[in-house]
Amino acid sequence: MLDVVVGLGRMSARLVASGRGLMRIPPQSFFRFCEGHVPLLRRLAAAGGEMSEADVRRMIRDTQDEGGELPDTTWRRLTELHILVPSEPGSDFHFLAEPVRRLLDYLFDAAQAATPEMVRGYIQSLEASGRQLARAIDQEELTLLRLAIDDIQRTLLRVQADLDETHRCILNEVSRYKTERRTISVRDKFRRIVHWMERYVEPMSDVVRPDGPLRSVFDETGRLLVRAREQGLFTDLPTMERSLRLLRIVQRHALRVFQQCRRELQPLYDSLRRSSFLAEGAAKALEALQKDGTSGWADAHGVRAFIQRWHHVPSDLAITRALRNVAEATVEPPPVLALDAPEDLPPDYLRRVWLDGLPDEARACLPIDDLLGWLVKRHPARTSSEALAGFTRLVFDRSFATRFEGGEARVHVTSDGELESCPVQLCNP
Amino acid sequence: MTELPHLREVFDRLRRGHHLSPEDEPMFSAVAARHDEYASWFRQLGITLVRHPRDFFYFEPDAGEGERETLSRIAVFSFILVDHAANEGRPIEEYIFGQHFLISRLPHLALDRYVGLLRQVDVEEVSGLRQVVRNLERFGFAKVLGEDEFQFLRPFHRLLDKCLELAAQASSPAAGAAKAGETAADRTPTPAP
Repeated sequence: MLDVVVGLGRMSARLVASGRGLMRIPPQSFFRFCEGHVPLLRRLAAAGGEMSEADVRRMIRDTQDEGGELPDTTWRRLTELHILVPSEPGSDFHFLAEPVRRLLDYLFDAAQAATPEMVRGYIQSLEASGRQLARAIDQEELTLLRLAIDDIQRTLLRVQADLDETHRCILNEVSRYKTERRTISVRDKFRRIVHWMERYVEPMSDVVRPDGPLRSVFDETGRLLVRAREQGLFTDLPTMERSLRLLRIVQRHALRVFQQCRRELQPLYDSLRRSSFLAEGAAKALEALQKDGTSGWADAHGVRAFIQRWHHVPSDLAITRALRNVAEATVEPPPVLALDAPEDLPPDYLRRVWLDGLPDEARACLPIDDLLGWLVKRHPARTSSEALAGFTRLVFDRSFATRFEGGEARVHVTSDGELESCPVQLCNP
Repeated sequence: MTELPHLREVFDRLRRGHHLSPEDEPMFSAVAARHDEYASWFRQLGITLVRHPRDFFYFEPDAGEGERETLSRIAVFSFILVDHAANEGRPIEEYIFGQHFLISRLPHLALDRYVGLLRQVDVEEVSGLRQVVRNLERFGFAKVLGEDEFQFLRPFHRLLDKCLELAAQASSPAAGAAKAGETAADRTPTPAP
């Protein structure tokens, strides 16, 4: 039993793969599956482009309810129902099947803009149908005539639907710009809007303008339809009238839609163009500063301003004051430098010289039994402090030896007081 | 030539690098009403009075070195603000002229890259930014509204013009003039009487 089911599944898959025109997908199964997998279908539609099997299985897991069907089953159904088609036979990568994508776009209101190539395709299709119509009129072939008119009607309805979708798509894009302000940089926004302008609006305007190819093919088709009506070949006049009306409506609609699209995009384009240039200029300046430093940066990237250094002209008041200063100035004799004045030697210097001369003086008198008495006697003008300094200088001189003799203390009178000491002998070492 | 009103004040401001905008009343209205006469008067001193297409006035800069460091700081400060607005995806002119700014909440010290750039022109802390804002006010590019708050004024378009000029140069030196047409070409020195 299992083999039979698997076999049927394979057969069904082969049928689907062998020809899209012969798809044996039961609509009930398809829509029942869709009903139970709306979140998954939304994810698939949003993903767009090629998807690996692993990607799809991840989406299945993310959107699957607990306790629902097994992920494997969902994956199998996606391929069986021809919702996903492999990018090439045996490939691990899949696309959302184009008819399903269109259906989902319609259901989820995810408009796809018609490219200029698509519109040119419609023009070619109308031209081919027009040739067929002309031949049918010439040959008075009613069946051919009906087929040609049907073709024309279908093409016109497609053009109208695609134009509406393009308009909706551009409105969505514009509104996305206004709501996604903080997520995309100005430069990226500008690139996107330029893409829209260059890819869709500008080329399409050429196609749909009043003297463009769309208008010319519409005019030709209209002439042929009128000719068919006038020759009484086509008796279904309401259909004929509908076709002519549709032709006029689509023609007006096409021009209007692209004017509207341009009006929607143009202000955004202008604003972003300016912002993008501003951003580019600022970025260039900052980049130069970062790379090359401040040397010469200000000349190339900074702004300049008129700065006038103001040197004031002397006022009358200042001149008067200056003149008064000159007039009232008292003459003072120049200072005289006393270059020949006697030089006073500093007392400290003299004291130093006296102390340094003491050893030679003492050496000449050795041995000296009472050093302090000798000093005071030879230099009576010296103060007590100087006498003691001289005593210390000689006692600690290494070229002498000192000996404390003991004995009675003696009093020595200096210029500013008295010094009492026991005799200290100074002799050769 | 009848006596021009506020001539001394107008000259005194413009010669210091100030830009006269509607914030500088009554001088601005006086110059706007009789700008040809003012231009003629200043021309006798060898100075060109420029009327920017955004309707503010300034003396055409000479090639002097005056205030070079201050103007470099102003330029770096301004370019960082433009860069920040662009990265945020905000329409730049709306961002700059459409709000009041708080110095303490400026983006300048929030990114290491910006901090590094500011350091190159000796602006290190918020106090440095405050000084730049004071200088912006001195040149008439901004108006200080309080201790921490300020707004950009119309003459700030001179900094934006510089951005456009640099962008035009970057894309093509030859096309530079064309792209910057709305800037340099529009800055029309007032014609001789």
